[in-house]
Amino acid sequence: MRTFLLSIALFISAVCAAQVPSVKVENSKGEAFDTKALLEEGTPMIISFWSTSCKPCIRELDAVYDALPDWKEEADFRVVAVSTDDSRLLAKAKSFAEGRGWGEDFVLLFDKNQDFMRAMNVSVVPHVFVVDGTGKIVYSHTSYVPGNELELFDAVKKCSR
Amino acid sequence: MKRLFLIFMAAMATVAVSAQEKGYLTGSFETNDHYYVADEGNGLRGFEPDDDPFGSNNYLKLDYYKGKFSAGLQLEGYAPAIIGYPSELDKFKLTNFYADWKDEDFHITAGTFYDQFGSGLLFRTWEDRALGLNNALMGARFAYNWDNKVAFKALWGMPRYGMEFSETQVRGADLSVSLANIIGLDDVVLSVEGSALNKFAEIGIDAEEAGAKPSTFGWSGRLNFDYSGFFLKGEYVDIGRQLVAGTPKRGNAQLVELGYNGRGLGVTLTGRRLEWMGQRILPSVPSPINMMSYVPAMCTQYTYMLTTLHPYNPQIGDDTSFAYNSGEIGGQIDAFYNFRRGTALGGKRGMKIHANFSTYYTLAQEGTAQAGNLLFRDLSVDVEKQWTKKFKMLLQYSMQEYNPSYGANKTTWLSNIIVADLLYKWTSSFSTRLELQYLTTHEDQKDWMAALLEVNFAPHWSIWGSDMYNHGSSKRHYYNVGVSYTKGRTRVAAGYGRYKEGMVCSGGVCREIPNYTGANLSVTTSF
Repeated sequence: MRTFLLSIALFISAVCAAQVPSVKVENSKGEAFDTKALLEEGTPMIISFWSTSCKPCIRELDAVYDALPDWKEEADFRVVAVSTDDSRLLAKAKSFAEGRGWGEDFVLLFDKNQDFMRAMNVSVVPHVFVVDGTGKIVYSHTSYVPGNELELFDAVKKCSR
Repeated sequence: MKRLFLIFMAAMATVAVSAQEKGYLTGSFETNDHYYVADEGNGLRGFEPDDDPFGSNNYLKLDYYKGKFSAGLQLEGYAPAIIGYPSELDKFKLTNFYADWKDEDFHITAGTFYDQFGSGLLFRTWEDRALGLNNALMGARFAYNWDNKVAFKALWGMPRYGMEFSETQVRGADLSVSLANIIGLDDVVLSVEGSALNKFAEIGIDAEEAGAKPSTFGWSGRLNFDYSGFFLKGEYVDIGRQLVAGTPKRGNAQLVELGYNGRGLGVTLTGRRLEWMGQRILPSVPSPINMMSYVPAMCTQYTYMLTTLHPYNPQIGDDTSFAYNSGEIGGQIDAFYNFRRGTALGGKRGMKIHANFSTYYTLAQEGTAQAGNLLFRDLSVDVEKQWTKKFKMLLQYSMQEYNPSYGANKTTWLSNIIVADLLYKWTSSFSTRLELQYLTTHEDQKDWMAALLEVNFAPHWSIWGSDMYNHGSSKRHYYNVGVSYTKGRTRVAAGYGRYKEGMVCSGGVCREIPNYTGANLSVTTSF
């Protein structure tokens, strides 16, 4: 136990702000996609973890989708929707996202073995992150009730200044 | 194992402090705690006054990242496990730890890891805390990707079973060749893939005499195609000879998915056949967490109370329950469509519609089943409409028919369920949500009704109360009240209620939950 605690203390002494790790997920076509590529544009982004069986996740992404035209007038950013559905619901998740029009405005990624979800330490969905242009996570929130999207957009505006 | 962990931690700490580049530590913590109370109104099964009134499941996960290197661990504690969880989950333990290095082409992992080949029918290791399943592989993995044209992966390890790593040895390899990228077709996805898996597990003398062998070999072949929104996926899987009821059976499965996604329309048609697909970590232990193939139910995954009373448990062809058969055959069709804003049906704010039909049958006269009997059939339609800026409505209809004998005879039970989900935003931060549900059936416990009211004060508070009432037979109420507070990444929820016995299903297995009454506390946080 002493070794364990010492090791944790050493880790903590050598840390900086959390970032987006490199993890292989799928894009809408089923091709491999490295999450590090999300940082290449150098603009802020919302990363939202969702699943087809998570009603609050869908409400949150719908709220963002509806508000996006207005938000885009105030800030330059992207929305990345990461489905955590496994192979049972992977094909359904792709059809679902298309059937809600998300593909037009969101970057859609599919994390079928939850590797990206684990790497970002997401225990439950919905879980959103705001990542600044340098790749640092500047805001994070779990769960969703209507109105949470306003706090989310405030975080986006702060890092897009 | 302890010495291995100490060496691992010392090495990680050295790496963390020795280099100039700073890394970062991230982690999460989750606790789910129950306090059970005696409740004669909740039937005879479940919690009894002499039982331990507490249940507590706890998970701490830490990950350290620096450049291409990462390492992490997971601690789990069950003090004791929440009622209905597998008995193998007990006490506190450092269950998982790993070190990982990756660049654009190479990926090497040592320690525990999760992975899958294809859809997971041949092999999958994963964590499902709701089910109490974690079959992470303890071993090593090597992966190489050549310019997104060829991807190769090889792994070896011992799967976790309960709180320990089993002595079963698993070795596997997976190859994916992108013909489209090799030829240079930009708009097309066309790849062929294949996997091989060897499992070495101890078996008893009886099993050996019946013809089973400790070493089994499985393989799969796959095809992926996508062009201009049209897609086709095919997979053939052979998991080798598995022990079922003391007799070796050759397990195999076929999966086809085809459809179209585009212009607001998403359609998927799935067909699947399973035969003796119960691939266990420990061949002779009939436990729902003893599995290393992912064989989920391919049908709608419902979330509303009355629609989840009888979740479909796919017949994968194993002998974990009293009723078993060789497998199932069936399929589903899913369709999603978005009526755009400004169209006749879409109106000012658009309208979304979804329909699903799924049906599954027994394969052959094996075990307790007859050939060709209906196992499960489901038709569902839901319509979602944002009427005004403040009011949103979802209506769902579901017709579920299932076979309570799992195919032993033709008798089926039919339920018709309707749900209305009404959300009203009074202000930008205050909203209410009301669910009204009704289930009608001539069988089982006859008719049910349910309602839920949720009051939300964004961004922090949510309060809810619900009741599920069986007025057709038992006249019993299943009530629940709760409150949650969320700040950033931390959510605390507390509730009290009476819960009905039921099943939590995932990956082809279901965990039976007894009925119980009590208080619960849940805390999740990450950093």
